[in-house]
Amino acid sequence: MSAIHLRNLVKRFGAFTALKTMDLDIADGEFMAILGPSGCGKSTTMNMIAGLEEPSSGSIHFSDRDMAGVPMGKRNVGFVFQNYAIFTHMTVRQNLAYGPTMQRAQTAEVNKKVAEMADFLQLTELLDRKADKLSVNILQRVAIGRSAILKPAIFLLDEPLSNVDAAFRAVMRTELKQLQRQFKQTMVYVTHDQLEAMTMADRIAVMDHGVLQQVGTPLEVYNNPVNTFVATFIGSPGMNLVKGTPTETKQGLRINLGAIGKSPILPPALASNLKSRNSEVWYGFRPENITVGTKADDLSLPITFTERIGARTIVHLGEGLSMKAVFDNETPVTVGKTLNFTLKPEHVLLFDGTSGVRIGMEAAHG
Amino acid sequence: MSGASLQPDSAKQAASLGFKLTLPAQLLVLFIAVFPTLMQIYISLTDWSPLSGANWWMAYGFWNNFANYFDLLQDGRFWGALRRTGLVMLVCVPAEFLLGLALATLFVDEFRGKKIFYSILLMPMMVVPAVAGYMFYMLFQSTGPINHILSTLTGSTVSIAWLSDTTYAMIAVMIADIWQWTPLMFLILLAGLAGVPEDQIKAATLLGASARQRFITIVIPRMKTIMIIALSIRLIENFKIFDTLYIMTGGGPGTATETISVYFYKVTTQDLIWGYVAALALFILVVLSVVAVYAMKRLALAIEVAA
Amino acid sequence: MAEIAFRNVSKRYGKTLALDDVSFTVKDNAFFCLFGPPLSGKTTILRILLGLETPDSGEVLIDGQSVNRLGPGERNIAMVFQNLALFPHMSAKENVIFPLVERNMAQKDIEERLNDVSKKLHITHILHKPPSQLSGGERQRVAIARALVRDPVACLMDDPISALDARLRESTRVELKRIQRELGRTLIYVTHDQEEAMSVADTMAILVDGQIKQIGTPDEIYRKPANIAVARLLGSPAINLLVPNNDHQTVSFAEGSLLLPVKTLPNDAKTIGIRPEDLKVAHWDSKQKGKPASVFQTEPLGGTTVLTLEAGDVRLKALLRGQPDFKPHMLVALSCDPARAHYFDSSGKVLQ
Repeated sequence: MSAIHLRNLVKRFGAFTALKTMDLDIADGEFMAILGPSGCGKSTTMNMIAGLEEPSSGSIHFSDRDMAGVPMGKRNVGFVFQNYAIFTHMTVRQNLAYGPTMQRAQTAEVNKKVAEMADFLQLTELLDRKADKLSVNILQRVAIGRSAILKPAIFLLDEPLSNVDAAFRAVMRTELKQLQRQFKQTMVYVTHDQLEAMTMADRIAVMDHGVLQQVGTPLEVYNNPVNTFVATFIGSPGMNLVKGTPTETKQGLRINLGAIGKSPILPPALASNLKSRNSEVWYGFRPENITVGTKADDLSLPITFTERIGARTIVHLGEGLSMKAVFDNETPVTVGKTLNFTLKPEHVLLFDGTSGVRIGMEAAHG
Repeated sequence: MSGASLQPDSAKQAASLGFKLTLPAQLLVLFIAVFPTLMQIYISLTDWSPLSGANWWMAYGFWNNFANYFDLLQDGRFWGALRRTGLVMLVCVPAEFLLGLALATLFVDEFRGKKIFYSILLMPMMVVPAVAGYMFYMLFQSTGPINHILSTLTGSTVSIAWLSDTTYAMIAVMIADIWQWTPLMFLILLAGLAGVPEDQIKAATLLGASARQRFITIVIPRMKTIMIIALSIRLIENFKIFDTLYIMTGGGPGTATETISVYFYKVTTQDLIWGYVAALALFILVVLSVVAVYAMKRLALAIEVAA
Repeated sequence: MAEIAFRNVSKRYGKTLALDDVSFTVKDNAFFCLFGPPLSGKTTILRILLGLETPDSGEVLIDGQSVNRLGPGERNIAMVFQNLALFPHMSAKENVIFPLVERNMAQKDIEERLNDVSKKLHITHILHKPPSQLSGGERQRVAIARALVRDPVACLMDDPISALDARLRESTRVELKRIQRELGRTLIYVTHDQEEAMSVADTMAILVDGQIKQIGTPDEIYRKPANIAVARLLGSPAINLLVPNNDHQTVSFAEGSLLLPVKTLPNDAKTIGIRPEDLKVAHWDSKQKGKPASVFQTEPLGGTTVLTLEAGDVRLKALLRGQPDFKPHMLVALSCDPARAHYFDSSGKVLQ
């Protein structure tokens, strides 16, 4: 068991910088998700932790131990590959026994460990099956068991669910989370799917373009995103953002959102954070926090398209705005009609119109 | 709908249509494979030769009560040639395999000048065997470059009679074969190595396997099929070793490097006893087929066990 | 464009019955989605439609005409593959016009068709690039352009966006739907992602073990599943299936933690399905009737929260709006509007 500390970690490939000065502390026994779109540097970070790649500069510590120069075979890291990299020419038993056997453990010792691990992962009956014709959730368990048998200090998982059928992902998520609880191991999980990160992780590190954007619990990053990237990347669908300019009215400060209308009055806390009353801001609110309104001063947008997805309806608003509302499947919506809606003050966030940084959190963002 | 459609109605009809469509090709194959074999069996039972004055279909006039088959059992020169061919195979094919594998392993990783080395390595394979024969014929002259280099290296005069000493002639022939055919092994095995999933190698490394352990537990099993293919190709080809060897030694000195192909060649072109050659060839075909099937099974098993 | 229909189509591979008496009609210009678990026969339907396989019995109709005896080249049906199968050594333009060049169409007509289809798919500006320089979404559109450029009677898509990033999938499916509406083509779409299926389809067919279990709009099927198999396939988290326990006043489930009035229950109901969003969860009040359930796990997703609840040896999922204040081990009371529950008989058929 081990904590992980990344300090000023940088990785360049020729002229391309894949990772720009990353600092991250992962606590002992924590399930940390590294989340971001393709090419954000998440896999590079993970590969450096595993020792599959050398950092260009900066350091990686497992608890107090500096990992510089420690080869991957000696780091005591369990790694679950995207495709699981199961040795398909071997049986489940040979896969589980691989690590201890290679490290020349006594046969009796190996057998004992394999039996224990198989029992723990409910693989006992499958031990003598060839590993090339197993279902994907069994493969996941074999992959984890094969690493876990060596009692690694940390577990790294590289998008293990991305090749899994959509229908099966939910099952796999639950199983993986349960395994982590049982092992109580530090786990780092790389994914591009915010749903996976939200459902499984203790904390999420959101990355984009080689830069760590925010670290926090799932609800922290959802409720208090530090910038527009995190706001739109987290959530399904992401946060709605509209450009607008502050305008003073008799009742208080509002944001003029152009064709959509004028925003409800900003709460005093939010208004006081607005340093300049003239510059543009991003007015942000979550699709699921939209309330259908009727009043004349409500915001309004035409309904362009609806997706009815079981329990919820995603309503696309306005042409080319990528604005959405999420309702339950009882709320009546008609394509072509105008949706009048309103927002509760606590559901509104403001971001700087140029930098995209959350207004009121500039200091935190550094 | 148009009646010109070829789309069949059911699986049975599809199968029958498939049979009809491929019938001409099947007949052709039958003719190519079966006719020469039958003819060979026929000739092998006679004393017929092209000089006998009769056409080949009249060969029944030379019926000799299986004398050819009794003769070959007592033909010391035949058994000697067979033994030498076996020796060449046993030395050359494993040597080519191991060298090829070693080279292929080196070429999996990137290094400077890889492309140039790659082209150079493949060159021997491109050389026409007869040309390679002349090349080695000159290299192995007792006053030739090989002895010269050996003299320079050892500091004393080396004058090995490579091609006229019975033992050295065999060694020279083997060296030429290994030189020419290691590249083919290299090429096939490199393709096999490239097909070993990188993630599995990484996974094995992360599980603490050393380079040697990774090779034995992951690489070899994954390359099993391609290894068998490479070995089979070379065993079959090597059994037929002829052109390079014939130009270098002509099968000599005496019969010291006379392999099966060389012996056949001599019996056919010099002695002109065609019926006997046909019997020899059939005998070899039958024996080899049995041996090959058995060897293939053993080979697969051996590689399985090694894994 | 065209209407496509399957009439009692069956197909057997050796001993396995891949398709069992499959019938459906895809209306002209409809977005029709085939949805089912892996190996349920979706791909077999596509292959029969394309003419790559012949059905053992039944008929395939295009605009009312049987095409059973037509070969793949004679049906004029286009296909977009899962891996898109773009030619990497050709530019986007060369990829798009490939089917026309293959048919020796006149240069002028090729240009005309290319312009037309690239405008509609918004790819005019990327036509010069090779596939390797295109984003996932752009590649998608180029592949669709290549399929549509020869003006097919219908376009088939086999799970075309499953390889994209999660976020990109959400926008691409909307884009696909837009394209299909604007181009007005008959589109048959295969997927195993229920969210994607419900999002794009005008009509969907649920396929299980080679049989069509239900056909309808996504909303109809979600609200009124015809049987247990369909009910389980749609919805995330999946529907809770409970076995009722009749004690003459109430019907109790999950060891008495969930009670429904007995009169709401159809007589032969053997299984009751309650969607996670229809399960109401409240803090437990000891004066209440029945028994409490306890919270096993909470998954806060931001806009919604998924609770896993334990009642005796039964586990239930509830989908709540917002970020309610439930923690593991809390005792809760469960309830459900009986009108929103689904009742199934012993064969798994829905009871009405």
